[in-house]
Formats: sequence, structure tokens, C-alpha cells
Amino acid sequence: MAFIKLALSNLMRHKVRSLLTLVGIAASVTVLFSILSFNRGFERGLADEIDKTGIHFMVVPAGCPHEVASLVLHGAVTPKFIDAGIVERMTHIADIELASPMLITQLLNVERGRLDMIHGLEMSHVRQIKTAWRLEGRIPDGEDGILLGSEVAAHDDIRVGDRVRYGNREFSVSGIITKTGSQDDAFVYMPVTALQAILEKTGGLTAVGVKVSRPERLEDITGELAATVPGIQIVTMNEVMRSLASLANSAKVMSLSIAVIAVLISAVGVMNAILMAIFERTQEIGMMRAVGASRTDIFRIIIKETVLLTVAGGVCGILLSTLMAGMIEGFVRKVMPYVPSGKIIHFEPVLAASCIAFTLVIGVAAGGYPSWKASTINPIEAIRG
Amino acid sequence: MIELRNITKNYIRGAEEVHALSCIDLSISAREFISIVGPSGSGKTTLLHILGCLDKPTGGTMTIDGEAVGDLPESALVRLRREKIGFVFQQFHLIPGLTVFDNVALPLLFSRGDRPREKIMALIEMVGLDRRVAHHPNQLSGGEMQRVAIARALVNDPEVIFADEPTGNLDSTTSEKIFSLLEALHAKGLCIVMVTHNPDLANRASRVIELRDGRILQQRTRGRRAS
Repeated sequence: MAFIKLALSNLMRHKVRSLLTLVGIAASVTVLFSILSFNRGFERGLADEIDKTGIHFMVVPAGCPHEVASLVLHGAVTPKFIDAGIVERMTHIADIELASPMLITQLLNVERGRLDMIHGLEMSHVRQIKTAWRLEGRIPDGEDGILLGSEVAAHDDIRVGDRVRYGNREFSVSGIITKTGSQDDAFVYMPVTALQAILEKTGGLTAVGVKVSRPERLEDITGELAATVPGIQIVTMNEVMRSLASLANSAKVMSLSIAVIAVLISAVGVMNAILMAIFERTQEIGMMRAVGASRTDIFRIIIKETVLLTVAGGVCGILLSTLMAGMIEGFVRKVMPYVPSGKIIHFEPVLAASCIAFTLVIGVAAGGYPSWKASTINPIEAIRG
Repeated sequence: MIELRNITKNYIRGAEEVHALSCIDLSISAREFISIVGPSGSGKTTLLHILGCLDKPTGGTMTIDGEAVGDLPESALVRLRREKIGFVFQQFHLIPGLTVFDNVALPLLFSRGDRPREKIMALIEMVGLDRRVAHHPNQLSGGEMQRVAIARALVNDPEVIFADEPTGNLDSTTSEKIFSLLEALHAKGLCIVMVTHNPDLANRASRVIELRDGRILQQRTRGRRAS
């Protein structure tokens, strides 16, 4: 028989109490592990999403960088425009591989009586700036062809070849984008010049996405651009990522704090349960001292009981979190202002191991005082009862 | 084997000082069977705890096999309890979650000794519980629990067994069986020191020490009386 077996048998003597204490730890670790996994996934998903845009920086009208971030990833409508003439000027700057005009707005879909999000872009650039897209159909090569996001197409049961009307123009659906899991699914993509014509904003753009041939020269290129073109703001994708990350940061810090407090509260519950157990087993502890247990032996038995309880709770918490990942992700998507597309919560063994290690530390911390108290019980008084 | 010279034990209870033991002089030889008797509060259990190195006297000296116990650190006292002493209690104090086998083997966990199954089984057979090896304490009678406690006290091959009212919670028939078991152990060469309230059992010991008010009132060996 080992100390661990003795500790386990002690825990099993009060199954309901041990189970309830374990549930407390498991619940708090579920929250903690879910939040940590979500945060990890959030950062990775954001980086992936930025990467998928296929551009290095955006040129937008001077304004708030948060607005730009929304523009890039949410497709927000902004009231300011820049002149399409800068696209021509940008092509003269060395190492700019691609300058892709973008015009984002909402248009009334008369037939269905609702507003659709419309993204005007240069269709010949689609393969370069939307590298992750998979299409059913083809990229339009004329002014009257459009692409639909999967949600738009599914919502109205539109198929390739159908016709859709915006303003005074009728368009043919050239292709439907296979589901991406991002905001792209909710957009209608049409040639930028066609959209300018509908809006009567010839030469007006919301942004220009820029891809460079030598990313290491990014700073020089943006510096030169800022110096030569007035009234614009340049936002690199790293800045966009930082802006979005900072938007989500306060929510992350708040939720993580709550999770840590929950773990600490459950640790107090563990300490209480173990103290009660020691109180009930005073005579038994006295007997163990009499038959040869040292103070250290008693300390070891009690600390092992505590650690067993917290680590088992931690393992259950991680299992629960993994099983409930989909539900938790769905809930967080509803309450967070921005969440990257795709599956966010993935099981990460290193993170799980870190959480187990954390519960081990909590176990040692919560069990320290009860174990010390048990080890200092006077065997004479204990045996007398 | 054990020598006590002028042992006193005082402690504070509330506002008063209690003189639990006074001027105790006692020699215990190997292979003796001693019973300690006396009314409640006479200091029997306190003396047993001091003899068993669970408690320290307030004054006087005690030696075990020539080694002065009073100056020993806690770790050395723990070693003494592991190697030379076995305890049997009135309340048995078995661990409910462990089987008979594991309860008997418990002291080996603390002495970090080997855990030879044959030895433990031999002890369980000796106390007549070989059919109860996998049972838990709540499945045993009082007498059976006390037999498990005796086997547990023997597992570290002690030189002396201190039994604190081992038959106090048992009926007369079961008490007789437990006492016979202690007699059998004594016959095999083990020293037994037993506190009891039962005069019939006490008088069957080779020496009876009677305490009153913390002092030895009289000692008598079987068949003759000494003060």
C-alpha cells in the first residue's frame, strides 16, 4: 500500500463530499481552460484571417484605425472616400506588386426588400487578394457579373447563372463562394466600376489594398506613399491585428479574471472540505502517529488527498471544456464584438498540461494549511478523542 | 528493557494544574506481562503513553534498552515507535476505507519496510481472520476488529505491546479470546503492558501495578504482593 492509496481511500469514505468538491474545481477549470483555449484560438484565428486577405497594408481615408480594422474584416460602411486616382500613382512606387481598389457599401435589394452588403473590387485581382476562396462557377470577366457569398446564395436559394438586380442594373451570378466561415459569406462581390456607377461615385473608393513584392521594405514603401499622397492613412495588417486584439483584450482580461477567481473560490472549498475531514479523523491521525507515522507522513497523506482532488477536478474540467467547446464558442461569438472566422477552440495539449499543473499548485496551496494542521495534532489528545 | 526513575507528569487543564503522575519508579523487563490497574483518573493511560514514547514526562528519566528517551528528538521517538513498540487501543482505530490486510500492513507504510504478503497473511492467520482478509472494518465484529488491531501492532516485530483497555469495548467471551491471544503472544516472548479495568484479566498477568492519584499504590507479582 502506498501513501496515494491511503489518500484515495480517505477521499472515497465521503464520496458525496469529495464529489461536490471535485465538481467545484472541475467547473472553475472548465471555465479557465475554455477561456485560455478561446484566447489562444482568437489570436491564431485573427492572424490567419489577416493572412488570408493576401495584402500587406491598406490605404484608407484618414481616420480611426479601429474603423479601418472593421472595414477590413467586417466590411463596415464608411462615409469617407478616397480618389481612385491614387491607384495609378501607387503603381509608380517601387516594389508595390498590386494596388487593388475596394468600395464597400450597402445597396437595396428591391426584389427581396432588404439591404445587401456589397463589396466592389477589381475582379482580376480576386485570385491574388482572396487566396483562400473556392468558387462554384467562375470569376466574372465583364461588368455585369457578380460573385455571391455562400450565406447570401443559400438564404435566397440563388444559383450560378441566376440574375439579381441592384439599382438600375441587372447582374448575372457568375460564381458562388464556397463557405469560408468568415464575413465574406455575407457579401455580394461586384466589379468596382459597376458599383461606382450605381452609387454615382465615379473614382470614389473606400480603400486600396496593397500587396508588395518585398515585404522587408514595407516600412520604406509606406513612408514613401505617405509622403507623396496627402489625405490618406496607411494601416498595415499588423496594426489592424493589434487594433482588433486590443478591442477584444478587455473582454479577455475580464473573463480570465473571473475564471481565476472561480478557481480560487473552489480552492477555498477544497481547503474547507479537507479541514472537515481532518477534524473528523483526529483519532485516526493519533493512531497513525502511535503506529509509527511521523509528522511528515501525516502531512504527505493530507497533501496527497488535496492534490488528488484538485488534479482530478482539473482533468474533469478539461474534459468537460473539450466536450463543450462548440457550445462555449457559439456563446462567446454572440457576446464578443469581433471573433475571427473558423473554429476557434482547439484542444491544445500544452495548455491542458499547464492547467493540470495549475490545479496541482492550487492543490498544494489549498492543502498546505490543513496538512500542516494535521501534522501538528497531538497524538495523545487525538487518541483520547 | 524499560526503566522509569522518578517520573512526573503535570499538565494544565483550564485554570488548574493536574499532577497526572508523581514519583513513578518502574522497571519493565523483556518478556514480562504487566497489567496496570486503578480507578479512572489514576494516571494509567498517561503512564502507558509515556512508556510508549507518545508523551514526554515533565520530570524524571526514562530509558529504553539503556537509551535515555527524554533527550531524543521527535524523529528518534518516531523510530522507536516504529521499531520497538506496538499499540493496541480500546477503540481499535482501524481505517474504515482499508481492508483487513491493508489495515494490518499500515505501519509498514510508515517504516518504509518491505511489505511481505506472507508475513502479513501469517499474522492475520494467527489472529484467526484469514477468511476476512479482504473485508472492511464495518464488516467485522468488535472482537475481530481488535484482533486486526493486534495483528497491526505486531507487523513491525516490536519488542513490547502497549494495550490500552483492549477488552474495554468487548463482551466477556470476546474479552477472554482477546486476552488469550495476548497471553499467547507473551508465551512467544513478547513483552505485554496492558491497562485494564477488569480485575480478573489483570490478575492473570505476571505483574500487576496498581495506580492511585498518579502514584504506584502497590505492585504484585502473581502469587505474592510487594509495595
